Amino acid sequence: MQIAFTLLTLTGPLALIAAFAVSRFDPGLRPERTHLAAAVAGIVSLVAAISGLAGLLLAGPFTWAAGAGALQILSLRLDVLSVTMFLLVSFIGAVVVHYSRNYLDGDPQQGRFTGWLCLTLAAVMLLVLAGNLVLLVAAWIGTSLFLHNLLLHFSQRPGAARAARKKFIVARLGDAALLVAVLLLGAGYGTIDIAQILSAAHDGLMPAGSLWAAGFLALAAILKSAQFPTHGWLTEVMETPTPVSALLHAGVINAGGFLLIRFADVMLLAPGVLAGLVMIGGFTALLGGLAMLAQPAVKTSLAWSTIAQMGFMIMQCGLALFSLALLHIVAHSLYKAHAFLNSGTAVDAVASLKRPGPIAIPSGKAVVRSFAIALAIYALIGFAFSYDTKSPQAIALGAILVFGVAYLLAQGLADAAPRALTRRMAVYALVTSLSYFLLHTVASWMTSGTLPLTPDPGPLEWVLIVLAVASFGLVAFAQALFPLWSDHPAAAGLRVHLSNGLYANAVFDRMIGNWSTRPLLSANQGTDQ
Amino acid sequence: MTTMDIQRPDLAAMEAAADAAARQIPPLWPLTSSVAVNPYLGQVGKTLAETGSLLGRIGGVSVTMPRAWYQERMASGLITDADLSAALASCRDASRPADLEALKHLASEPVAQSGPLATVADLAAKAGGTDWPALVAERVGIWAAGYFDAGQALWAAPRGNSAWASFRSFATHDLTLEIAGLKGFARLVAEAPDTPEAAIARAVDSLDLNEAELPGYFHQLLFELGGWAQFARYQLWRAELNGTSDRTIVDLLAIRLILEEALYIQYRSAIAGEWADVRAIHATPVQTELPGIVDAILQEAAERAAQRDLAAVLADAAPRKDVSRPSLQAAFCIDVRSEVFRRALESVDPSIRTLGFAGFFGMTVSHKGFASDVEELRLPVLLNPGAHSCSSDASSGSDDLVSRYAARSKRAWGRFKLAAVSSFAFVEAMGPVYAGRIIRDAFGLRKAGVPNDPAPRFDPEPDLETRITMAETVLRAMSLTEGFARLILLAGHGASVVNNPFASGLHCGACGGHSGEVNARLLARLLNEREVRKGLAARGIAVPEDTLFVAALHDTTTDAVTLYDQDVDAGAHRSDIAQARKWLAAAGRMANGERALRLPHAADGSAIARRSRDWAEVRPEWALAGCKAFIAAPREDTSGRDLKGRAFLHDYDWHQDSKNGFSVLELILTAPVVVASWISLQYYGSTVAPASFGAGSKLLHNVVGGIGVLEGNGGTLRGGLPVQSVHDGEAHVHEPLRLSVCIRAPREAIADVLAKHEQVRTLFDNRWLHLFAMSEEGGLAWRYDGDLNWVPFESVAEA
Repeated sequence: MQIAFTLLTLTGPLALIAAFAVSRFDPGLRPERTHLAAAVAGIVSLVAAISGLAGLLLAGPFTWAAGAGALQILSLRLDVLSVTMFLLVSFIGAVVVHYSRNYLDGDPQQGRFTGWLCLTLAAVMLLVLAGNLVLLVAAWIGTSLFLHNLLLHFSQRPGAARAARKKFIVARLGDAALLVAVLLLGAGYGTIDIAQILSAAHDGLMPAGSLWAAGFLALAAILKSAQFPTHGWLTEVMETPTPVSALLHAGVINAGGFLLIRFADVMLLAPGVLAGLVMIGGFTALLGGLAMLAQPAVKTSLAWSTIAQMGFMIMQCGLALFSLALLHIVAHSLYKAHAFLNSGTAVDAVASLKRPGPIAIPSGKAVVRSFAIALAIYALIGFAFSYDTKSPQAIALGAILVFGVAYLLAQGLADAAPRALTRRMAVYALVTSLSYFLLHTVASWMTSGTLPLTPDPGPLEWVLIVLAVASFGLVAFAQALFPLWSDHPAAAGLRVHLSNGLYANAVFDRMIGNWSTRPLLSANQGTDQ
Repeated sequence: MTTMDIQRPDLAAMEAAADAAARQIPPLWPLTSSVAVNPYLGQVGKTLAETGSLLGRIGGVSVTMPRAWYQERMASGLITDADLSAALASCRDASRPADLEALKHLASEPVAQSGPLATVADLAAKAGGTDWPALVAERVGIWAAGYFDAGQALWAAPRGNSAWASFRSFATHDLTLEIAGLKGFARLVAEAPDTPEAAIARAVDSLDLNEAELPGYFHQLLFELGGWAQFARYQLWRAELNGTSDRTIVDLLAIRLILEEALYIQYRSAIAGEWADVRAIHATPVQTELPGIVDAILQEAAERAAQRDLAAVLADAAPRKDVSRPSLQAAFCIDVRSEVFRRALESVDPSIRTLGFAGFFGMTVSHKGFASDVEELRLPVLLNPGAHSCSSDASSGSDDLVSRYAARSKRAWGRFKLAAVSSFAFVEAMGPVYAGRIIRDAFGLRKAGVPNDPAPRFDPEPDLETRITMAETVLRAMSLTEGFARLILLAGHGASVVNNPFASGLHCGACGGHSGEVNARLLARLLNEREVRKGLAARGIAVPEDTLFVAALHDTTTDAVTLYDQDVDAGAHRSDIAQARKWLAAAGRMANGERALRLPHAADGSAIARRSRDWAEVRPEWALAGCKAFIAAPREDTSGRDLKGRAFLHDYDWHQDSKNGFSVLELILTAPVVVASWISLQYYGSTVAPASFGAGSKLLHNVVGGIGVLEGNGGTLRGGLPVQSVHDGEAHVHEPLRLSVCIRAPREAIADVLAKHEQVRTLFDNRWLHLFAMSEEGGLAWRYDGDLNWVPFESVAEA
């Protein structure tokens, strides 16, 4: 039965690879054959993902390998993590392929584009399904190499070349980090089978180099998921058609987080590395969130939002809340894919802001009250969802999210807000909190058994927890009071520095000579240009 | 210093040069209410060839198609030798080719495209190896996007400052250029004068510029800023229409100049010599050269070829004139999209008559929609509003409030979704909901609703005398003073599209980039008023007792027509309205079928409706692509002929108008014709110079500030039309032809109007528009030859 489900699952990436092959013969304008192949592949991969789910429910979790020896590199793992990611990627992939058909209609290279889109999707699917280290690395590297061709769809645009070049450099560093990590893991645990490594690590086996392995995994994740200070490329790849942005922000960028969740048992062996992830992720989340606020262009704003959300997710990994990180990946991907594909509505959205009259701005008092009410709601709901079984990390994270919900209440409590608005905001806040806790509970329940539980915090973890809650709380408070201080002259400089992401990108550009007028490195050429 | 002996320009000369440069730039309206603009608005005093020389020098821009485009047409016989000869003969330039042979020979030679003159940024890039022009565009873009933002960013740039002050505040903090290698820039900006005029003077001094060099150089710097300068020019346009002024565009010039200044200071030793050469060229007057003259002649020939076609279509035997009372009259906007629908509707039943009039129906209103505080200018952008209107009344008070609360809750939710920390809570709590939204949008289940606010009314209501005058003016302007049907539809138009930043560009230009139902409903209400009818009768317009006016909205994307019969007491006309609905539906199906032939991936008419709901559709309709003629004449001169959706049709009867001193003719030439020329030339510019006057590819559009689009990451705001709006991937869908205006009226009357309106005359004299007088038989009879002269229209037979 395992063979049957594995083969069914495998039809997804295989169909997409076949669509890529078709596109090589039909690479141009209005490519009917490529369209047909891509549409079929999209549907097949959705069915494959559903069969994967069925396989998991009926026979799993399991790893199936094509054989022993060299054939081991053809092994797939079906567990909650891989099936969830596969469902997500195939759903977004099918939508993006469908969208591209009409969106790129009339483009002279539509067939080529669609082909690389399919191949990139196949690589992401193999990445999430990989049962062994070799396939994992190959799919990881393939994903970014194939994506590179999409980033250079408009290869004659200097901006596209600059962004792709930056991404290329970061991606190769990430590849190197992953390669080192995998070599250390393979050598240390004496196997390339991921499940065996995880179960050994789960039992506390720590061969030489496993700490380094965790460190390099973390580094690879940071580079892949656009964490500060290597985030610059992500805010610039709007030089590629909108569906690529959707795929990138909802599919490819998650690979860093996926890697950490996949190797959660290994990561738990290295609390110092996790602490580093909390700091980098938390800092990126706050910086990205603030930079996003100051972006006047819709796609740039969405890109900063992704950086922030990835930071939050990496922080969750650092806090060993792997099930919540997985939930975050799924929720964010669905939201962000829609936001990019739908970004043409920005004109209407901005126009509609002014129609109903001025915004009621909450006073300091209203904000304090809203925080108090939000924490009370949290306490109540928390008891309903039984605190006692939750780790301090999870409780702290809930508090951070409730600070966010307080902003809803603060808007409803503003002096100028009519009662109807106050009531609605209260309802929204309640629904949001309930939905969030419900989803957390579901995520924890689904992944229990697959993903390791959050260990009890030591002194280092406690410090980080307090630091995270305090800094997110502070920013949340400042954000609720926003209109009261944002026009202050002192804020003007802060706004400029933050909106530039503290110049990490400018420094990176300078280091690699990205504004040079001399012909850029061959990295700018797509592999089939 | 070597520059001591140079006479520096004085402040007045610099201000004059800055102002003149500003007026070379066309305005750009925000996308919330975008209208077509003539990109050559600053050059209408020049001919096409002269404009080509000027824009070629400062922008590297061509004003005609590549030679191959004309060659193809010559080879296929579309452009005949006769067309070429006639175009050659009409060329006034002394250095034109000697004869047809010389012209054809020159036309077959390839043209060396020269780039624009270098700016200091260009020279610095060459000398220093850093792409300064791109960096400058990127940084100015980052600042300008924040400055002009209408509400996208939650953390807006500080408000209330001039553009110059805002930029200084930005640039003194921003380290990006310093990191990229422009040393001391923040300091240079911090120490810059407080006024843009003084900053310009300082830069002019640093750059060793003298007076003769300023106009060209200033124009070039503003031209390079693209949409940002155009948007600032729009602010000046709006201000001047209101009788005030606006300095933003001068601020932009100062901003661009201080960047030049900084680069010159840094690279002076390496580039001073080359810079002196560039300045010397700026100081010489722009001259037309032979290749540009040949281009203009070829363009003229292509237009003459199209005019031959048009003359042939108009010369077709006129259908018999039916004088009995029509069963239905329907007035549509002059928009070329109406032509297809009107032809279809008239063919459904011979008793149906249609009319054409500018889609704002003479109602120049500033309108507040239902539950909205925003004043929408629903009128041609050349005019100031003459009245205020709104869609809420006392009885809708509580509905209005409920609707506002819902909108405010949505807005508060939107802020929650985007704020720094709450965005994480939003994603974790609500992210999964978006799976449903993706499915909804991917399957096109979201429909763009038909505008359906409560009936609009004037607020305040003008007094009866004024209302009667308004009604009389409109009816006379429509040449609709007799022969009223029982049911008369006043159909505005709008588009129904989703996920499309250019939606307002598909709406009615005469209504300021809004859909036209508000204006139509206001007029219908006015004309149904008993008291107004009485007053009209007293003024010689007798509207029969049984005539009912009903407002309608023609959806140009789907060709569905919505009737606003709920606005009126339709008791006695129920069956007329029911019948009209049937006819409209039948006409819609025919129009769909005709349009499907032109649209890509529309197998037949039934595919049209789906496109309007497809979030990935980049060509929901062709809008006004293909427009080439404007005809002001009675409908019988055009009815029954297939004008292929390429002609603006304005009803006009000069016999009636002559009694009022040709006031309607004057109105037509000064308003709808000018608006049509803006539309035609916007298509023209976006087709021949997409890089400068087009909005780039929709695939890369990044909506900025709710006002416009960037292409990709950033840089300049992009005005004009996206490439997808003029090109279907294989060929241009819009043929770049300057509009042929055809008017059935005596030549003397037309010439009198031109003599009176210098600005309109300039458009025809410099041939941004062609002008023809039609004969009483309805065909093209006379061609306007400039300087108020006419020549007989060439016989069609010679083709």
